[in-house]
Amino acid sequence: MESPASGGTNTKLTRREVLAAAAAASLAAGAPRAAFAAAPAGQLTYGVHVSLAAGWLDPAETQGIITPFMVLYALHDAMVKPMPGKAEAPCLAESWSSSADGLTHDFVIRKGAKFHNGEPVTAEDVKFSYERYRGTSHELMKENLGSIETPDPQHVRFKLKKAWPDFLNFYSNASGAGWIVPKKYVEKVGEDGFKQAPIGAGPYKFVSFNPGVELVLEAFEGYWRKPPSVKRLVMKVIPDEATRLAALTRGEVDLAYSIRGELAEELQKTPGLTLKPVVLQAPNWLYFPEQWDPKSPWHDLRVRQAANLAIDREGMSQALFLGYCKITNSIVPYTFDLFWQPPAAVYDPAKAKKLMAEAGFANGFDAGMLYCDSSYSNMAEIALNNLGEVGIRAKLEPIERAGFYAGYSNKKYTKGIIQGASGAFGNAATRLAAFVVKGGAFAYGNYPEIDALYPQQADELDHDKRASILGKMQQLVHEKAIYAPIWQLGFLNGVGPRVGESSFDRIPGFAYTAPFEDLTIKS
Amino acid sequence: MKQYIVRRIGYCLLSLFLLSLTIFFFVRVTGDPATLLVEPGASPDDIAAIHHQFGLDRPLLVQYGLFMASVLTGDLGQSFYYRTSVFELYWSRLPYSVMLATAAMAFSLLLGIPSGILAAVRVGRFWDSAGKVFALLGLSLPSFWVGLVLILVFSVYLGWLPSSGSGTPLHLIMPAFALGWYFAASHMRLTRSSMLEVLGSEYVKLARLKGLPQALVIGKHAFKNALIPVLTLAGINFVIMISVAVVVETVFAWPGVGRLLYEGVAFRDFPVVQGTVLMLGAMTVTVNLIVDILYAVIDPRIRLAS
Repeated sequence: MESPASGGTNTKLTRREVLAAAAAASLAAGAPRAAFAAAPAGQLTYGVHVSLAAGWLDPAETQGIITPFMVLYALHDAMVKPMPGKAEAPCLAESWSSSADGLTHDFVIRKGAKFHNGEPVTAEDVKFSYERYRGTSHELMKENLGSIETPDPQHVRFKLKKAWPDFLNFYSNASGAGWIVPKKYVEKVGEDGFKQAPIGAGPYKFVSFNPGVELVLEAFEGYWRKPPSVKRLVMKVIPDEATRLAALTRGEVDLAYSIRGELAEELQKTPGLTLKPVVLQAPNWLYFPEQWDPKSPWHDLRVRQAANLAIDREGMSQALFLGYCKITNSIVPYTFDLFWQPPAAVYDPAKAKKLMAEAGFANGFDAGMLYCDSSYSNMAEIALNNLGEVGIRAKLEPIERAGFYAGYSNKKYTKGIIQGASGAFGNAATRLAAFVVKGGAFAYGNYPEIDALYPQQADELDHDKRASILGKMQQLVHEKAIYAPIWQLGFLNGVGPRVGESSFDRIPGFAYTAPFEDLTIKS
Repeated sequence: MKQYIVRRIGYCLLSLFLLSLTIFFFVRVTGDPATLLVEPGASPDDIAAIHHQFGLDRPLLVQYGLFMASVLTGDLGQSFYYRTSVFELYWSRLPYSVMLATAAMAFSLLLGIPSGILAAVRVGRFWDSAGKVFALLGLSLPSFWVGLVLILVFSVYLGWLPSSGSGTPLHLIMPAFALGWYFAASHMRLTRSSMLEVLGSEYVKLARLKGLPQALVIGKHAFKNALIPVLTLAGINFVIMISVAVVVETVFAWPGVGRLLYEGVAFRDFPVVQGTVLMLGAMTVTVNLIVDILYAVIDPRIRLAS
């Protein structure tokens, strides 16, 4: 494509063109990077591992899974969202402030931010998007909200009913409520019309969509951060992993999501292809639901500590994910706000055996079943062998994913060991609420000293003080060996030879490529 | 005749009603779709909100009543996963399935019938043995393996064909081969046995005694009669190819109905499973109805007996 800077053959400028150029130059003063960027060119094609759904084109539908953000980051933009180097980066909001009592949050909308139809992003759009939101945690967000005021098109004020320290976390990160859609357009075309032809404020605009098959996007040159470098993005669904790799090898796709195990090894060996590992914000762990039963071996702290020492996390990561998992020794993702880093995990089977002997289990014991999501049974098999080496004998019980998590949350697996995981959004407080604190959906028992700290942090508006309380809670989880954390999963992807900047692993914990406007094709 | 047709249509409607009832309740036994739409650790409020949004918090009979009321107005509901109309999803995928099934069927017949005839005519000799080996391979090699080998050879090493997707005739070649391979073997086996049976019949012997050339005996007298069971099987296989080419469609990222159904099952997308099964059921029932009516037109004894 010929850029305007290249001139072409027309050298005479009319008065109108000079005025237009002057106007463009004055606009460019506010966005210097945009002014001198080359026009978008070329196409990048993705081999996507999951079926693309129409719901992902609409931020109001965002469920508590990371997958829709694969598309949202391209098509839409948020007031505040995770960006490279910043978990809460100003995007459509150029700044914000909160009152000392935590009841009022003011946002200033970025000047020049506009939707793909050229309409500016206004306070009314922000209010509309929040009120229209019906995805994950929307009840919570509705309950806590008093009112939304829009004193002028550039300013929005959220007034809460009560102080809610997690407001910004949920607004920017743990929901889709802060992703802005154009009010006038949605009202004009209706909900179904919006899903069929969505308009957003992101770096790419919608071209076409065949559900479960293909999504085509085109660069939006008016994007406030900078115009994308790549003109066209095509996301093709290729469900089979081996076929995705073949398509990448042949150059039919330029980026392929999720290439695991032996195929990842092959990818690494293939000239021209690059393996791009990303650490997901999804820790895996072993959980001991019998620890509150005084008759169970798991009641003894030394047995739980032995189980922690028995697991060869590095070896497991090498065997299954080419060593790309991150061993954080916590059930809270390291990317979460208020995360407390525990001491490093140790693999010491000799010490584990010693602890077992001290606990009165020198000959080991039968631990019953090890329940797991069948798609991660390969991990569970290795864990089972590791535990067996120190005398904790268990049998594997892989269960289909939905059935497993239904059983886990319904507290069906009261005996044995559970291999669990969670990629749910939130922060350290929300993670502990679900998995540790009394009444948590996945907590099979509780410790009063941890429970006592939970309400303290919930009312604490001072971030440092809150971090200190949550740090203490996480420390207790670690010291009591409630869990044997394994790792944060490594998500392996492939990149072809045409890609310059792939935008993989730019945003910590984010599985997919983003920011999309940073993607480049090698010249 | 009119009474016969009305009765047949009545049976068809009853079959579809029973199918709708069965699939509606069976798909709900597979588990809760909400657990697959959120990450583990999601709050019970979020799970409850999903149940409410999809109407899963209502009594089963109410859900069934609403489903049937929608079906009667031509609405198969909204997909839980795709958040779009199931009817539109189904019709967007059906042409791809028909295209793949047609190509696979053409391939399987072009390969299966001549090799079956050859094996029957040269029974006990090289071509017969070669045909048996082909049939054995065709029926025993799993289609996903055949598909992956094809991709490896023709896409990765030779670079002749696109590895996946749809859009050009080149995209169709490998999926059609992988899908038709199994059916070619079954068509070959049936053609061979059918031909052997016909070749041993009295009228073929008579044709030979009359001194007719071998090509005429085989081509005109034997083949025509041997073809009837093969074409009957091919008709059934065609419907199967449209409905259940799940593995081939997944390996080659072919956007057909089989993959849609598979995804519906995998994501507990009840409306997709119900809608797809019901549409496939309607297709089968309609084909059967047409066949029944044609039989009655051709043979009056059938309609009189009915």
